[in-house]
Amino acid sequence: MTMAALQEQIAVEGRAAPASQGRGMVRLLTCGSVDDGKSTLIGRLLWDSAAVLDDQRAAIEQASQNRAINGEKIDFSLLLDGLQAEREQGITIDIAWRYFETSDRRFIIIDSPGHEQYTRNMATGASHAEIAILLIDARHGVKRQTRRHAAICDLVGIKKVVLAVNKMDQIDWSESAYRAIEQDFLTLAASFGFEEIATIPVAALAGDNVVRRSSHMSWYSGPTLLDYLETVEPEALPADAPFRMPIQLVLRAANDFRGYAGTVTSGRIRRGDRIVDARSGHSAIIERIVTMDGDLAIAIKGDAVVLSLDTDIDISRGAVLSETGRRPTNADVIETRLVWLSEAPFDPELGYLLRTATDLVPVTSMSVSALIDFETLESKPAHNCGVNDIADCRILLGRPASLDLFRDLPPTGSFVLISAIDGATVAGGVITWAQSGAPAMSDNVLVLNRELLARGVCADLGNSPEDQAEFHRRAQEVAILLRSAGVPVSIEI
Amino acid sequence: MNALTSHLKLLEDESIHIFREAAAQFRSPVLLYSIGKDSTVLLHLARKAFFPAKPPFPLLHVDTTWKFRDMIAFRDRTVKQLGLDLIVHTNHDGLARNINPFDNPPSIYTDVMKTVALRQALDTGGFDAAFGGARRDEEASRAKERVFSFRAAGHRWEPRRQRPELWTLLNGRLGKGETVRVFPLSNWTEGDVWRYIALEKLDVVPLYFAAARPVVTRDGQLIVVDDERMRLEPGERPEMRKVRFRTLGCWPLTAAVESDATTLDQIVVETLASKNSERAGRLIDHDQAGAMEMKKREGYF
Repeated sequence: MTMAALQEQIAVEGRAAPASQGRGMVRLLTCGSVDDGKSTLIGRLLWDSAAVLDDQRAAIEQASQNRAINGEKIDFSLLLDGLQAEREQGITIDIAWRYFETSDRRFIIIDSPGHEQYTRNMATGASHAEIAILLIDARHGVKRQTRRHAAICDLVGIKKVVLAVNKMDQIDWSESAYRAIEQDFLTLAASFGFEEIATIPVAALAGDNVVRRSSHMSWYSGPTLLDYLETVEPEALPADAPFRMPIQLVLRAANDFRGYAGTVTSGRIRRGDRIVDARSGHSAIIERIVTMDGDLAIAIKGDAVVLSLDTDIDISRGAVLSETGRRPTNADVIETRLVWLSEAPFDPELGYLLRTATDLVPVTSMSVSALIDFETLESKPAHNCGVNDIADCRILLGRPASLDLFRDLPPTGSFVLISAIDGATVAGGVITWAQSGAPAMSDNVLVLNRELLARGVCADLGNSPEDQAEFHRRAQEVAILLRSAGVPVSIEI
Repeated sequence: MNALTSHLKLLEDESIHIFREAAAQFRSPVLLYSIGKDSTVLLHLARKAFFPAKPPFPLLHVDTTWKFRDMIAFRDRTVKQLGLDLIVHTNHDGLARNINPFDNPPSIYTDVMKTVALRQALDTGGFDAAFGGARRDEEASRAKERVFSFRAAGHRWEPRRQRPELWTLLNGRLGKGETVRVFPLSNWTEGDVWRYIALEKLDVVPLYFAAARPVVTRDGQLIVVDDERMRLEPGERPEMRKVRFRTLGCWPLTAAVESDATTLDQIVVETLASKNSERAGRLIDHDQAGAMEMKKREGYF
């Protein structure tokens, strides 16, 4: 089949039967180091799957004449690099969003920049994706920025990764080189929580294995990129996940109507069910699930609804409604893993705010305990973090907030950190541990117990007699420092 | 619930979430209502987001005085039917200087009567957030935009300094002098907009449906003569042709397309089969390369 015929076939299938009854939307990210060909790959995918319209084709062809690359007529990256600075410099600065449909699916593609300087934009893109296409230049293999991007994909909760080994034409379509890169990546990915990793050898500029099967790599029998994307199943939370609905607004209307507006972030709820606000402990029964299209009997994950309750309880924006059994944690001490996005490094003296699903809580104190080393992907003890770092941090909140662990319920287990001074978003992260109430406070005396110390200051210590001695020494040191700052402390190890 | 297809339901829920986040976080929002299909969907979603209450913000229409007469009639009918507050703003300084689409190049006309007018209206009203119906599939610089799109003092868009926007956690804390454009339709495509209008049976301006209209052809574009202000070139004579609009702006600057689509279903089919993007009919976007980005940097929505 010719290229033109295939394009025509995809065009007919794709446009005549839009993904109206299909499996909803799939959100894809492209990432990887600079110059690995991300924009070119997506440009090629769009071009070959007939998602580029005639006037756009003409504009790209015209613009490409000024920027011929490798003797190719079309510079596909121009489809995505929509800012003047990007076109002038030939780099991607910010993420680009593109949309296309095949007969099976509606795709949202998020093309992200490879430069380390623009990692904050890549992190923005990654947080919206379910599947990441991670590009690697076959000539260079896994690079530091490849590892950083993989770590960010893991942090924001992406479970499925496609490793696209690009520029295969530049290494004579070598299977052994491809296999070596694949193995390198699988080894490093072992430290992440990815559930599925597919690898595909491609040549994006020429289009091999993007939409059209390559004739140069008979040793590869797997799917093309488009084949893979059309069949991969996006991650779904289990149907029996606990009910959560963070309240966005309280709505009042005629006839004394009072309702709580929000989006169900997990689980389901029926009219007549009892719900509770974990923060206040107030509970009530759902009287109506209101929408402009009529009341619902049931609301499920993703539904934007308004709940009215049988009794007036004092809850407002920031509260998380849940079922009475499996409630969120009402936490004021959390441990987190975050990616620092601001040019200004973390400063323990500055004021920060923690923004969860709909709550905004002042941070009382915050400390960095470790950084990810992007060479080894190990976490190393640290006290500072700066732009593009991935750090483990402990955060004390000014008041309790209703939270979940990210690994259990991502929508209520993620947050952004905001500068109290200028409102900027300085970091985004996930909650890895949360504690209800101040750590074992009794009569205003802070109790330093074994668990508290083992989580942080003594995390490196084992059970040997030497280590246990060191454990006690550190406990004493911490107690001395705290007492000198006026905090009453008792040690209970 | 009516029969929303699966991805339209996802898009609708996402848009409602965005509306509610903005209403909760900003002191004084306003909805930029430009009467077209995107504004129609935007307004419908705003009503859904706050039902059974009314949307807690007024509508703002920047009237260049060159809108199709059908658009103004539709605007007034809609606002009255729904009982909403509408602010209409015109740049009277521009009118006094007789800035118009015939005597001035599109870039000057758009800057004075649309961009400057919008800045005047937002500043006068003291609005800190403005909802707009922009979609990322419209144009290459729009494809780069955040849902909460921050504007520095003077409403300038600084594309190199966009705020990170992770998950669905929209951070609306404003820095000094900053305002925000909020784009609930960011992830909608033109096809989605029409499918949604058809599914929800929404009323749209009649100009979207094909009908015989007086047309002149200029540079290969079909320009509909909407009133007596049209200046005909020597030898030019309007002829009746069956046309409709994919996009609606100021009538001398918005080209029509030949079409037989007289129902919403026919428009959906025609849109999904189209080989050209809707902006092909927007003369102001082609004035120079990167035209949209330039306009946005100057405060266009």
